[in-house]
Amino acid sequence: MTKKYDAIIIGAGVIGTPIAYELCKMGYKTLNVDKVPDAGEGSTAGSCAIVRAHYSTEDGVALAYEGFKYWLDWENYLGNVTDEKGLAKYMNTGSILVKSDGHDWRKVKKHYDAVGVKYEEWDVDTVKKHVPPIDMHKYWPVRRPEDPTFYDEPTEMLEGAIFCPEGGYVNDPALSAHNIMRAAESKGGEFMFNAEVVDIRSENGKVKGITLKDGTQIDADIVVNVGGPHSFKVNQMAEGVWEGCNIKTKALRHEVMYCPSPDGYDYLNDGYHMSDGDIGCYERPEVGNMFLIGSEDPECDPQEWVDPDEFYAGKGGKGRDNVLTDAQWKAQCYRLGKRIPSLKVPNQPKGVVDLYDVSDDWIPIYDKSDLPGFYMAVGTSGNQYKNAPVVGRMMAELIDACEKGLDHDQEPFQYEFKYTQRTLNVGFFSRKREINYDSSFSVNG
Amino acid sequence: MQIYVCVKHVPDSAANIHIVDNLKIEESVPFLLNPYDEHAVTEAVVLKNQVPGSEIIAVCLGKKDAESTLRSALAMGADRGLLVETEKVCDSMTTARALHAAIVKDGPADMILTGKESIDNEGMQTQFRIGALFDFPVVTNAVSLDIKNGNAIVTCELAGGRTRTFDLSLPCVIGAGRGLNTPIYPTFPDVVKSRKKPIETLTLPELNVPAAPGSAKIVSMTPLVQKRHPRKITGTPSAQAAEIIRILKQEAKVLS
Ligand SMILES: Cc1cc2nc3c(=O)[nH]c(=O)nc-3n(C[C@H](O)[C@H](O)[C@H](O)COP(=O)(O)OP(=O)(O)OC[C@H]3O[C@@H](n4cnc5c(N)ncnc54)[C@H](O)[C@@H]3O)c2cc1C
Repeated sequence: MTKKYDAIIIGAGVIGTPIAYELCKMGYKTLNVDKVPDAGEGSTAGSCAIVRAHYSTEDGVALAYEGFKYWLDWENYLGNVTDEKGLAKYMNTGSILVKSDGHDWRKVKKHYDAVGVKYEEWDVDTVKKHVPPIDMHKYWPVRRPEDPTFYDEPTEMLEGAIFCPEGGYVNDPALSAHNIMRAAESKGGEFMFNAEVVDIRSENGKVKGITLKDGTQIDADIVVNVGGPHSFKVNQMAEGVWEGCNIKTKALRHEVMYCPSPDGYDYLNDGYHMSDGDIGCYERPEVGNMFLIGSEDPECDPQEWVDPDEFYAGKGGKGRDNVLTDAQWKAQCYRLGKRIPSLKVPNQPKGVVDLYDVSDDWIPIYDKSDLPGFYMAVGTSGNQYKNAPVVGRMMAELIDACEKGLDHDQEPFQYEFKYTQRTLNVGFFSRKREINYDSSFSVNG
Repeated sequence: MQIYVCVKHVPDSAANIHIVDNLKIEESVPFLLNPYDEHAVTEAVVLKNQVPGSEIIAVCLGKKDAESTLRSALAMGADRGLLVETEKVCDSMTTARALHAAIVKDGPADMILTGKESIDNEGMQTQFRIGALFDFPVVTNAVSLDIKNGNAIVTCELAGGRTRTFDLSLPCVIGAGRGLNTPIYPTFPDVVKSRKKPIETLTLPELNVPAAPGSAKIVSMTPLVQKRHPRKITGTPSAQAAEIIRILKQEAKVLS
């Protein structure tokens, strides 16, 4: 096959599409290849799409804050492209971080000050004024309903919360990836669906192209792994890439619950996004006046590492296929039921199950690889949806710099933020890094 | 009033259900309180609020795991539970005999509520068999229930949306339909309270459940293979919305 593309991007999720868009804007001819039928139909479709700034590292906070600015400017970011499916919408609810033993909130506050994130400190009464049904007792440590002490009466109160007025969620994550695809297409990007990459070819120590399941070979000098929960499988297809990563990725099963808001509380319109380490849950409003309840993966919960192909094929039985489990339904809903005692928990679980692409330290890898021409934006660890547009820009600039001769491993690329005045050392996200022990080792990043 | 509610532990209808050996379903899926029984429990709570001093007893025949379904009923407002524990899969003749024996032992009953059917077997007979064993009147698919002058005034939905209203002497057996009420779901404080409520475990031998004179045994099961005919709805967003509304009204008939 004749060489037609400058760059092939494996994956058309919310991270793969903006990389294509930005490369196109820089003059690259791109092709995104994805095995699902449309953009955003991978793990992005199951995302809670929460946009919040609290991370355990200053660079994490800075990237999220920069990312937030893109969501505010969504239509302009997309170059005012039209999408026949409509545009995804960013809903600014404001974001409450409960001060608890479950989060190192003092560190977060320090990072907010350093980065310039706007915030307010709320005492318990202020929290109650804003969230009338809330009970601010301290329940720490997080336990499971099977543990009899789960039901112990709380005796102490929490201190309060840190409130960020800038935070919320995107109402349709799959649609947001679709929007970016349309924007990329308007700049010449191409997309190929229902096409599975099974091999990454290289020649003379450089990447050469991809091979699809049906045998089709497509060549390009640049190949980018944005395979989401499949990222480790894609890295293993490319010569020496997996071995060259000090930080690895794997797929973690994650259940998200939809539980109706208590009678008389219009959570959809009046509610906030909340991160509550004291009960190990995060929540945001969902259509139908629902609480969407995610888990912060507290230590007492089992972690289920799965094979993404088996998971998406619905194979493997309980806990492995994409069906909610009764035990986890009760764990997450009852935990929130402590915080919101009037929350009514139906007997039948409702929600979504999807996979996080988790790195060893829950911080992503945005990097080149040991195979020249092969790059990766992986290990998004359940917390990079919000950063997708800024990551797209950062990856495109990193790729461009490396292709022009930068030795990023020796002299890490410095990325200039577009909105917030700051420079980010992209070496922070290196595959070669040692495990970053400043991380929360959780979805909080 | 002494109100008995028969509840069944059934597989979650939202789960991916697999059949093994063409004979039984793979039991690793989540099991929960049969949805129609949720209406029965809810109605019992409504009655208890109307008739102070009433007691609600949830009764279940099933494996040890079925205790979680009884716990759900207790969290919804039942006062205590009876679990007739058996590892056997029972047909409706034996099920009715077991539930009857448990209620006789515990009773007397003023009213027995069940769901109109269980979503796993869809037998729709247990309520009638219990009624026959007791010699109580039975109605099913109830959509409203009132107690007047010591009788139960019950409206039932028949095929095609017709209704019929009955005046039943008490004690009686009523199969709850979907239209009867909106199930009440427990809050976390309800769950905490329900943990202190007692569940008594009984066995078939200790209840002296008489062997049924006949039996019905499942010899094979096949999964439902749904033929789907997807089609693409095109046009502007408003034209697509209008088409969806039309389909929901005219084809699916779920909107009027
Ligand atoms: C349940 C859940 C909740 C989350 N909540 C939040 C949140 O609230 N806030 C937040 O910031 N982040 C959140 N995240 C994380 C965020 O959604 C992800 O980081 C992000 O969506 C990942 O996007 P992606 O493009 O990397 O992956 P994906 O969307 O999975 O895209 C990868 C694509 O690659 C394709 N692919 C893989 N292998 C191949 C192959 N061999 N050939 C062809 N195609 C291939 C897949 O089909 C897929 O479409 C959440 C994630 C999950 C799962």
